[in-house]
Amino acid sequence: MESSGYTIKSVKQGLEKGEFSVEEIFKEYQERIEKENPKLNAYLSVFSAEGGSAFGGDLETNILAGIPCAIKDNILISGEKCTAGSKILKNYVAPYDATVITKLKKAGTVFLGKTNLDEFAMGSTGENSAFGPTLNPHDHTRVAGGSSAGSGAAVVADLAVFALGSDTGGSIRAPASFCGVVGLKPTYGAVSRFGLIAMASSFDQIGPITKNVEDAAIVLNAIAGHDPLDSTSVPRDIPDYTAGLGKPIKGLKIGIPKEFMSEGLNPEINDLIQKAFSELESLGAHVDEISLPMTDYALAAYYIIVPAEISANLARYDGIKYGLSVQEGKNLLDVYLKSRAEGLGDEVKRRIMLGTYTLSAGYYDAYYLRAQKVRALIKQDFEKIFEKYDAVVGPTMSTIAPKLGELSDPLSAYAADIYTVQVNIAGLPAISVPCGFVEKDGVKMPAGLQIIGKHFDEGKILQIAHAYEQVRDN
Amino acid sequence: MSSITEKEVEHIAELARIKLTEKEQDKMTKELGAILGYIDKLKEVDTDGVEPIAHITGLTDIFRKDDNPRGPDSENIKRLMGQAPSEKSGYVKVKSVFED
Repeated sequence: MESSGYTIKSVKQGLEKGEFSVEEIFKEYQERIEKENPKLNAYLSVFSAEGGSAFGGDLETNILAGIPCAIKDNILISGEKCTAGSKILKNYVAPYDATVITKLKKAGTVFLGKTNLDEFAMGSTGENSAFGPTLNPHDHTRVAGGSSAGSGAAVVADLAVFALGSDTGGSIRAPASFCGVVGLKPTYGAVSRFGLIAMASSFDQIGPITKNVEDAAIVLNAIAGHDPLDSTSVPRDIPDYTAGLGKPIKGLKIGIPKEFMSEGLNPEINDLIQKAFSELESLGAHVDEISLPMTDYALAAYYIIVPAEISANLARYDGIKYGLSVQEGKNLLDVYLKSRAEGLGDEVKRRIMLGTYTLSAGYYDAYYLRAQKVRALIKQDFEKIFEKYDAVVGPTMSTIAPKLGELSDPLSAYAADIYTVQVNIAGLPAISVPCGFVEKDGVKMPAGLQIIGKHFDEGKILQIAHAYEQVRDN
Repeated sequence: MSSITEKEVEHIAELARIKLTEKEQDKMTKELGAILGYIDKLKEVDTDGVEPIAHITGLTDIFRKDDNPRGPDSENIKRLMGQAPSEKSGYVKVKSVFED
């Protein structure tokens, strides 16, 4: 199954030529969702034509006007449910719009519904959702990838023109790789996090999942920019991210980290990635082997800092102000203990416990502080490489989409993120672009090529990804 | 420090305000032990003299005016209060903090 169906440009053309109206294309998607979603579990909620947004965009001026899209269910749309894939927020209704939603509404985008995710975006497979896993549209016995599982599946199955996801350690890129679509994680601070339900605040970023590289650039144009409501968003001019598309990549210098091409990489994925390297070379790029020596420590640093931030961020789910509340018991403490016991899933509890432990008295220096120093070293590794190179390229994931239940042990699930977490640790932008298929059990399963750039150099990685997308022969 | 005792897990669960059943506590002890064993790997790294990361793209303190540019929004207050599990006279109601 190839990624097919409508792109932003093709819907735009259809609207311009009068092949369909905004209402008709929305309805076409609604009908497809109604038919296909029961099999895939990609959407947790589906909007009526009136819900989510009005058909009010200016078709003349905005390329996103009338485009039906899907939103990960940890991004707030005012008046709509937002569950974050958790039982504790099962009936929570968003009281305001996330900044990315405000921006998309202004552009005239139409929202189809909210997509499934690992609970609070914690997972690499989508199986940690309290509402059941999203199945991979290529093979229903496999996962769609997490945590933006529903967004990845919805885009490849053409149940949305594009989707928004969020990425803390690979949550946009993993489903993009496993489903065979494009996923872009922007630089930390490039896109406002206001209205994104927080997991690890110094890592989280919202980004697009799309059918091609051009669409990713178009969506980034619409959602990027400084926001006074998110003090970690960076004040700077937003370039036109589509400007580099179609420009030659001749002479660009690309580094291949030898640590990414080691024994942990599935041999068939290795073949696809090697082929992609030759294709980049044939486009005139200089491709060299480089080293990111801290790679071996990235996962350990990630699984200290992220749970620490989680333990603080998720303290707000206490059964008092909103969300599931278990009122039985004698006193306030009982409400806390029981609401959290009943409302939170296993992986969420595990990470809260881990973070509480590593931040507790006597352990802070040994774990959290040390990990923040390793974070500095990982950042320096990349800074050194980017003095000489335009981009770092390698696999997104080490395997194709695993079978449901295959990564049930927490540590092996964590290990799946080996090539993606460093990008978030260093706050860098990265894109996963389809690089071919591996045949497994008679099904062609997709794999992704990851292109990592300097801070705020999204334009360059989009340019490289787009050039590669044009010559890719599989 | 690569292992964690059942007693420590019990204490951490209390700090994290999560009630664990005995079975969950047992499972959590094993799983956290394995994860801690793995992240102990960081002890191998020489971090002497390394400044820990404060903000990844280098932003420093950001200030804003101490005001509410959007003004009081009674509709929003109503929406927020409407989600509280228990409410009385416009306040969120909670159970007693101390036992009587």
